[in-house]
Amino acid sequence: MNGELFLQQLLNGLTIGAVYALIALGYTMVYGTLQMINFAHGEVFMVGAYLGLSVMLVFGLAAPAPGGAAWLVMVIAAAAVGCALLGLLIERVAYRPLRKAPKLSVLITAIGVSFFLQNAVMLFYGAQDRYVPELLPARRMGEGAVSVTPMQGVIFAVSILLMAGLQWVVHGTKFGRGMRAVAQDPLAARLMGIPVDRVIAMTFAIGSALAGVGGVLFGSYYSTINFHDGYLVGLKAFTAAVLGGIGNLPGAMLGGLLLGLLEGLGAGYISAQWKNVFAFAVLIGVLLIRPHGLLGERLAERA
Amino acid sequence: MTGILMLLPILDSNSYHTEILATAALYALLALGLNLIVGYAGLLHLGYAAFFGIGAYAYALLNLRLGWPFWAGLPAAGLIAGCSAVLLGLPAIRVRGDYLAIVTLGFGEIARVVATNLESWTGGPNGLMGIAHPAVGQVRFGVEARPYYWLLVILVAATAWACARLRRSRLGLAWLAIKEDELAAGCLGVDPLRMKLLALALGGWVAGLAGCVFAAKQGTITPDSFDFIQSVMILAMVILGGLGSIAGAICGAAILSIAPELLREFSTYRMLLFGLMMVALMRLRPEGLFGNRYQVPNGQSVPGTKRRV
Amino acid sequence: MGSPLRRAGVFILLTLLAGCGKSEPVIKIGFVAPLTGDQAAHGADMLQGAQLALDEARAAGEIIPGYKVELAPLDDNRSPAQAVSAAKRLAADRDVLAVVGHLNSSCTKPASAIYYEARLLHLCPVSSNPEISRQGFDTFYRICPTDDLQGPAGVRYAVQKLGAKRIFVLDDMTTYGRGLANEFLGAAKGLPVEILGHEGITQGEKDFTPVLTKIKGLNPDLIYFAGMFPEAALLLKQKLKLGLSAKFLGGDGLFEPALIELATPEAAEGMSLTTLGGDIRSLPTAQRFVQAFEAKHGHLGAYSWYAYESTQIALEAIRRAGKKDRTAVIAAMKGMGSYSGILGLHTFDSKGDTSLRVIGIYTVRGGKFEFVEAVHPSPPEADPPLAGTSSG
Repeated sequence: MNGELFLQQLLNGLTIGAVYALIALGYTMVYGTLQMINFAHGEVFMVGAYLGLSVMLVFGLAAPAPGGAAWLVMVIAAAAVGCALLGLLIERVAYRPLRKAPKLSVLITAIGVSFFLQNAVMLFYGAQDRYVPELLPARRMGEGAVSVTPMQGVIFAVSILLMAGLQWVVHGTKFGRGMRAVAQDPLAARLMGIPVDRVIAMTFAIGSALAGVGGVLFGSYYSTINFHDGYLVGLKAFTAAVLGGIGNLPGAMLGGLLLGLLEGLGAGYISAQWKNVFAFAVLIGVLLIRPHGLLGERLAERA
Repeated sequence: MTGILMLLPILDSNSYHTEILATAALYALLALGLNLIVGYAGLLHLGYAAFFGIGAYAYALLNLRLGWPFWAGLPAAGLIAGCSAVLLGLPAIRVRGDYLAIVTLGFGEIARVVATNLESWTGGPNGLMGIAHPAVGQVRFGVEARPYYWLLVILVAATAWACARLRRSRLGLAWLAIKEDELAAGCLGVDPLRMKLLALALGGWVAGLAGCVFAAKQGTITPDSFDFIQSVMILAMVILGGLGSIAGAICGAAILSIAPELLREFSTYRMLLFGLMMVALMRLRPEGLFGNRYQVPNGQSVPGTKRRV
Repeated sequence: MGSPLRRAGVFILLTLLAGCGKSEPVIKIGFVAPLTGDQAAHGADMLQGAQLALDEARAAGEIIPGYKVELAPLDDNRSPAQAVSAAKRLAADRDVLAVVGHLNSSCTKPASAIYYEARLLHLCPVSSNPEISRQGFDTFYRICPTDDLQGPAGVRYAVQKLGAKRIFVLDDMTTYGRGLANEFLGAAKGLPVEILGHEGITQGEKDFTPVLTKIKGLNPDLIYFAGMFPEAALLLKQKLKLGLSAKFLGGDGLFEPALIELATPEAAEGMSLTTLGGDIRSLPTAQRFVQAFEAKHGHLGAYSWYAYESTQIALEAIRRAGKKDRTAVIAAMKGMGSYSGILGLHTFDSKGDTSLRVIGIYTVRGGKFEFVEAVHPSPPEADPPLAGTSSG
């Protein structure tokens, strides 16, 4: 086994894993507070990628742009804001009215939103793959057979920053306490004076913003995006969230990275064709041994 | 009622319309099967299309490799699919609630990837071709959708009747019990594990039948007909119609399979409107068309009862 | 069970009665290709070609007196399942007398069985897998050369002109891709070249860095990719990022200007591909088409002329049949036997394949496709021409 090759595979796997982690966080946050699987989350990620593309087109950015890193930060910020707003909108219009409805109905609503977003993007941007300009130079850094592109570096940096930031928000701020309270018991939280609706809305906003950032990073990394990407990546990110223990934030991060690694190594060393099976096989295996995911705790059963 | 539905293709001889009716009937069958699992036994299953596919591939392989005729393949496909449902369900049952959903999703995806990659068995991504159509005596079914539609209506009617009987049987009551409170049911002598597996087996059986008819009708099957989106669509049909309701499952299937065709007028905006429609329907009637408005405190709808529990 | 079920039935009845149509004297030519999805660029080119053919024919007069002729375009999104559904729809529609399509061999193959059962004339523009015509369907006709010519032409070019000694083969696991790769490998056996490996990738996937990293470790001179342009674009980009400097050769599925845009001109520079025909611009018979198409659409596209030719042939068969009858159209086509079109003189053999067998070689230079040469491979065995044989 070639050591350099292995390192390269490792690096590539972790890169996409970081993107999965960002999206998985959104899934897990929403599930934690609402016990709801937000099927439309993957589409928010996809919209983020397209928003990033739009911003690049509006400013006439082409690859590689001078001062590319600064532009990229701006694009990321724009996508984050845009997706946060989208998340707020979806929550307000589609999910909030169904708070008291059976969980499965909310599932169908989420699927409906997902269809809507996918096709809205397809109509607006076209059904074909779109090219995303690479703002950072594609030059590899590093010696020998292992190459790291600046984009990969950015993905790691941004992901780590955001995840650390999220941990701080959840555990170090009053809002974060509110989130955790609502996750534990919404009724009690309301009785304690916590503005539950606002907390839920903000949860959606943050999760969606993270997905949006993931979208821009994804788009810039592969520099090709398609309206169908949300479904594929969303499914994987959701798997990652469950792998780590749904409702658990560090679990989502771990799950994402692990999934990316498994996919990359599996595809590189075993077979590229069976890539998707590894992810699910591992997930099922883990759930059988640890039914609440890797880091999940046994939550009290809701009657 | 069945009689009227059977007469439809004779009244409206447009082949394309019959084709749509046949598709609706196929989905109605699938929705009834999933209704057993999700509506009666309360198991959220996100990988149902896999059993549909297993039934289809089972008949295709039996027919192509072993020369089995359709009428022998039909029960065989149902059996194979039913057994797979149980096998795949064994590990899944132990996992709680929403985790069950993702495990079933995972199995569904694994099944599809296996079908895509095991080329020597399943023909890979290009699937299997040349599957024989059914024949009654000397008459072969052929390309026309009408005979398939009639076959499917019979199957749907039979399955609906069976479901109605099941619901009132001891099995049905046992399912209701474990849906409400598994722990309590267990204390009263109901074995939740066995009941759940039974639901899976029966649901799988129905999906297998549907798969066999689908394979025979299309003549060609490919893995992408049995993906997660398909599972989601069938689930949507059941929920739209009202969990646990037979008429609901059939109606939900009819609506969600006919609506895209009707909306074809708007072609490009079609799926957009479809998504909006789903959201609107849930907003207006979250319990589904034929579902029950009376709900137990935790938000779960209880089919077949009209009083507050 | 009575009341709710009855409600259900009435509901279904009402929705259906809403859709009863009226009939008018119209003849349709079905057209199926990926009109949505990642290969929509190809499909759009083809649709424009087909539409141009129809417009020109209509301008020249009525094809069958008393009938309006239309194109009935359907989308198959390169999915065999959707292709089968589309085929069934066309088969069920009595106004459809001929079908032009599809793009992908994995779609054309199962669809051709349905058209055969429905006795519907099936003209195929660009699906090149040889198996399709070996199924024995007398309704099937194809106007492009097949992969048992394209594959060997590719490997010969790689070894003789590009000087490759170590080749790694990738395909997209479709009927077309796998078939073409196998033809390539088969012909490679007789040549002084080492095949390092043969792997499949999945259509729709984005990340090929694992398999490319593996290939990099094997140090090939050339990578051969039998597949379509969206995946090829990603392969080229990721290959560049990994610093994998092997040459890149592909099949006709890559022949689409969008490839260069998606891959970036930098990554696509120097790559080569084989195509199902020579340089259309240099064919004297095609000049009028080139001018008309470019005037209308501003570009030439990639598969537009195949669809144009196919539609022209379909129209001619319908014209010769003289009446709205599928069997008559098939008989007319058989009787035609050969057709002189923008690509030259087609003489169809008993399998439905054309006698025009030219494989083109293109390369990418300065962000554009550049024609290199045309290869005239000798056919594996000569099938008897169709004209003069009585129908089977």
